[in-house]
Amino acid sequence: MRQEILRRLRATRGRGRKVRGMAVLLRPYRGRVIAMFAALLVATAATLAPPPLAKLAIDDGITPGDETVLYWTVAAFLASALILWGATWLQTYLVGWVGQRALQDLRIEVFGHLQRMSIGFYSRRRSGVLISRLTNDVEALDQLVSDGVVTLFQSTLTVIGTIVILFWLDAELAALTMLAVPLLLLGSLGFRIASADAYRITRERIALITAYLQETLSGVRVVRAFGREARHLKQFAKLNDDNRAANMKTVNLNAAYFPAVELLSALVTVAILLYGGYQAINGQVTVGVLVAFITALNTFFDPIQQLSQLYPTYQSGMAALDKIFELLDEQPDLVDAPDAVELGRLRGEIAFEDVAFRYAGQDQWALCDTDLRVPPGQTVALVGATGAGKSTLAKLVARFYDPDQGRVLVDGHDLRTVTSQSLRSQMGIVPQEAFLFSGTVRENIVFGKPEATLTEVHEAAAAVGADGFITELEDGYDTEVGERGVQLSAGQRQLIAFARALIADPRILVLDEATSNVDIHTEGQIERGLRRLLAGRTAIVIAHRLSTIRQAGRIVVLEHGHVVEQGTHDELIAAEGAYFRLYRDWAEQAAA
Amino acid sequence: MAVFWRLLGFLRPYRRGVIASAVLAALAMGATVLLPYLIGTAIDETTAGSADTHNANAWTDHKGYLTFVAIMIVITAMLRLALTVARRLVAGRVSLGVEVDLRQRLYDHLQSLELGFFDRQQTGQLMSRATVDLQSVRFFLGYGLIFIMQSALTIVLAAVAMFFVDPGLAAIALAPVPVVIVIAWRYGRRARPAQQEVQQRIAELTADAEENVSGVRVIKAFAREQVQLHRFRQSVARVFEQAMIATRVQAFYTPAIGFLPNLGLAAILLFGGLSVIRGSLSIGDFSAFYTYLLMLISPMRTLGYMLGTAQRATASGRRVFQILDRPTAMPVPEDAPPLPEGAGRVELRGVTLRYQGTTQPALRDVSLVVEAGTTVALVGPTASGKTTLVSLIPRLYDPTSGSVLVDGADVRTVEPRSLRRQIALVTDDPFLFSASVHENIAYAKPDATRDEVVAAARRAQAHAFVTELPDGYDTMIGERGLTVSGGQRQRLAIARAILADPRILILDDATSSVDASTEQQIKRALAEVMRGRTTFVIAHRLSTITLADEVVVLERGQITARGTHDELLEQSALYREIVEKGLPDQVFLNRAPTEAVGL
Repeated sequence: MRQEILRRLRATRGRGRKVRGMAVLLRPYRGRVIAMFAALLVATAATLAPPPLAKLAIDDGITPGDETVLYWTVAAFLASALILWGATWLQTYLVGWVGQRALQDLRIEVFGHLQRMSIGFYSRRRSGVLISRLTNDVEALDQLVSDGVVTLFQSTLTVIGTIVILFWLDAELAALTMLAVPLLLLGSLGFRIASADAYRITRERIALITAYLQETLSGVRVVRAFGREARHLKQFAKLNDDNRAANMKTVNLNAAYFPAVELLSALVTVAILLYGGYQAINGQVTVGVLVAFITALNTFFDPIQQLSQLYPTYQSGMAALDKIFELLDEQPDLVDAPDAVELGRLRGEIAFEDVAFRYAGQDQWALCDTDLRVPPGQTVALVGATGAGKSTLAKLVARFYDPDQGRVLVDGHDLRTVTSQSLRSQMGIVPQEAFLFSGTVRENIVFGKPEATLTEVHEAAAAVGADGFITELEDGYDTEVGERGVQLSAGQRQLIAFARALIADPRILVLDEATSNVDIHTEGQIERGLRRLLAGRTAIVIAHRLSTIRQAGRIVVLEHGHVVEQGTHDELIAAEGAYFRLYRDWAEQAAA
Repeated sequence: MAVFWRLLGFLRPYRRGVIASAVLAALAMGATVLLPYLIGTAIDETTAGSADTHNANAWTDHKGYLTFVAIMIVITAMLRLALTVARRLVAGRVSLGVEVDLRQRLYDHLQSLELGFFDRQQTGQLMSRATVDLQSVRFFLGYGLIFIMQSALTIVLAAVAMFFVDPGLAAIALAPVPVVIVIAWRYGRRARPAQQEVQQRIAELTADAEENVSGVRVIKAFAREQVQLHRFRQSVARVFEQAMIATRVQAFYTPAIGFLPNLGLAAILLFGGLSVIRGSLSIGDFSAFYTYLLMLISPMRTLGYMLGTAQRATASGRRVFQILDRPTAMPVPEDAPPLPEGAGRVELRGVTLRYQGTTQPALRDVSLVVEAGTTVALVGPTASGKTTLVSLIPRLYDPTSGSVLVDGADVRTVEPRSLRRQIALVTDDPFLFSASVHENIAYAKPDATRDEVVAAARRAQAHAFVTELPDGYDTMIGERGLTVSGGQRQRLAIARAILADPRILILDDATSSVDASTEQQIKRALAEVMRGRTTFVIAHRLSTITLADEVVVLERGQITARGTHDELLEQSALYREIVEKGLPDQVFLNRAPTEAVGL
């Protein structure tokens, strides 16, 4: 039990991290932040002005019948109301401006951080959860900023002001009132401990919902094709209900906390009434002071109640901020070394020196004892069964992962010593599935070279044999391809991926089963383009259709993560080894 | 406004909860009003006591009554505590209930919409509606509504009390109220579209984030991180700009709503004060009047602020209703019968299909009969309509004209789930869920035993690599789990289709990423699975094509040739080209004449 309480207390810590994080976010807007606080200060002062002015009007104007005083105080009253108007306008605007700016900057920071993370990071996380950090969690903070900042500031100022007034009225009664403060703090601490997990869980539950939505909406074709909607509805209903339960827990906690603060205020008032009444009757205080004190007590507890109303929003925002900082504090595992070299124009020599690699959490080596040297301009074909390590080898060349042992070198530079920007901008990778972004055909082609001219786009498309179908599309190169390129056929997407790689004019080209979705008729068309694409570049080609591979300068056969054979087509056929068997299987199929 | 009432309509199932929380709130308000009265009584008693200066036992005399009042205050406060706790519990339950209901409705409806809808929608846009938008609806229904009701009630009660005290002064004091209402109305009219646009831009940002996270491999491969970050910055800037437009509207109107009641107060001080000085109003009445007016100030401000929350909720509600109100373009007739018994005969009658937003039809006037139990290969260049044709059979799309019949029933007239249960589709880029290997294979038949799953995996040539995975069939794959290669995914998808035991099997380039040796093994298994089922095969490899009883050549959405392999070799130039390009190296075959070639 005690340990549980301590754990929960610790769970709500990290306030220093949050304060520092927020300070960093606000620093660029120092001027506006100061102006915002000034506006808040003036607005609070203007809010507090009417009651004493009204009192002045009644006591010095109306009661003695002095009309001049009345006119002047009413004028002052109106003036303060006008100031309040102006200050509130400024305050609303500035709080909105600073708050939104900081939140949007936070979004950019999270996004930028995500972009720095390695591919390995993404294969461990559900994309929906990452998206939830950028959307739901920032929204929770938005609620705190737009509802909370003003209340927080004004209420705190009012409480402090009222405490001064209370002591000025009667120090003894004020001291009695202050006995409530430790109780309040204790209550808040208790609330914090009780709710430490509850708010964190609400953030996690909504992230799960986001992830489930993301997955089942992306996979909607499979859901439909198998007619499994009912099952997903049921599962979603469960997640939805879990989310409700998590939120209900916070509702229960709030329901207890806020009214308890109200009760405390009533109890303090009773104590003052009894003790103050006793003193008044005994003549130690005047009734007037007692009445003023009781009235001031209201102004003391009102803002405290408002603050306690705000506490759940605050907790929820802080839990969201915790989640965001948790993500930001995660160190990218594949960063450029501080002294990383900017690669010049590559010749395109690739070397693997005794490389071994396995994916995180797996016992088996994906690649083992791999030595390979590819001279500039050569095309190397990787051949082997599924799971033999072909794609892994290609990924290491692009430094999507770092090897566990050995080195991968390009033009003699260990990949760990060069900047990834200068490496990847000289590489063209056409992966198994051609992932297109929503946007036009043209935007997708110029992805790797945003400054490309329209002529270059046409040339690249023509080179890979894609211009034919593109010009027949509704709006030609300006046709929207839809999310993931859903408006195009698989083969068309692949051709656009080729054009995308070609236009980037890479020095090293990686084709990872890039032609498997293209029919033979089209493949014939792109063969010429491919030849042009490969001319003068180093290329690593992975393909199952061995006809594509025969022309390669060298063929490397992989089995279970090992290089078992390498040589030209003719050499390997003559050797009658693994390649010979693969080729025979393929030939049998193609001939059948 | 219609949207607002419709949102409130979602409270209907929680009528009792809503009424209960209103009653509890009213009672709590009663307690809140009672407290100052009791405190006033206590002060009166104290005043009487302190006036009793000659009595040495004054405290003892007044102690009893004072204690009694104090106890009453504590009891009232306790009562209020109980009422408020109860009210909050009920209101919280109601608002969460509405959020859950709306989200479930949204998801239900999304599942009933036709696939074409998803082709044109970004996933992130839909996600944003089901999360961010619904939360602002909940926030309003949970907190806002009660506050608005409380504030409105306070204002009405205080106004009535003021009219009782002095109708003339009340008229002056309440003169700003109609102005407040007009301003609040105008505020709503301007804020709602602004707020709706904010929500829309947040949804765009969500879509942007979704795509960037999903496509991170391509971004990294092209070293485009900086450019994507720049684009995301623009999305973020768009949200900021619009949020500031909404903020400016808020900054303009809310202080005005807060200012007007102060004007009333000033008027009362002036005119009421003058009346007192001139003797037409007692100072007591004036004080009471002034107190009531003070009671108005805070609810007025709350009302102004809560109107903002209401605008946001309405804007979000409208976006949710946009989806809910979209009728499905693929309606199913009431009490549609299940797919009739049959062996899987498929017929297309004059089918033309044009995807929305395109001018060229993907299929034009295609008629095709495939007898039950036969295998048809679809052959043709990229985008000739092969995938479109097979998507019509499980009714993933409806043809623009013509009809599709399975076992004699028009697919539009039968219950879609019964139809789809009889069809298994394997695509070139199969989608697997974040779940275990077992669950993925058993997707169509969740109660399948491990033996059944293993048997299906064996036939799909997946068993060997599955057993090498860290947890075998219990290994988590998909997004959060292990990354499996393209060829492995295709084999799992084939196993999934085999376990579904369908009447009709559709293999859309299903083995493109599988290496030749494995494919040959799969094909042997498939040949066995195809027996007794109608099978459609889309393939680029001749070896797969030759499994078919009949080959259909598609070009630009039309059938240009059909027949057996030999017939087509004579008839179709395109087919000949495909066959020639696909044939293996003759040299190799000549070199190894002793090797057995062919299936």
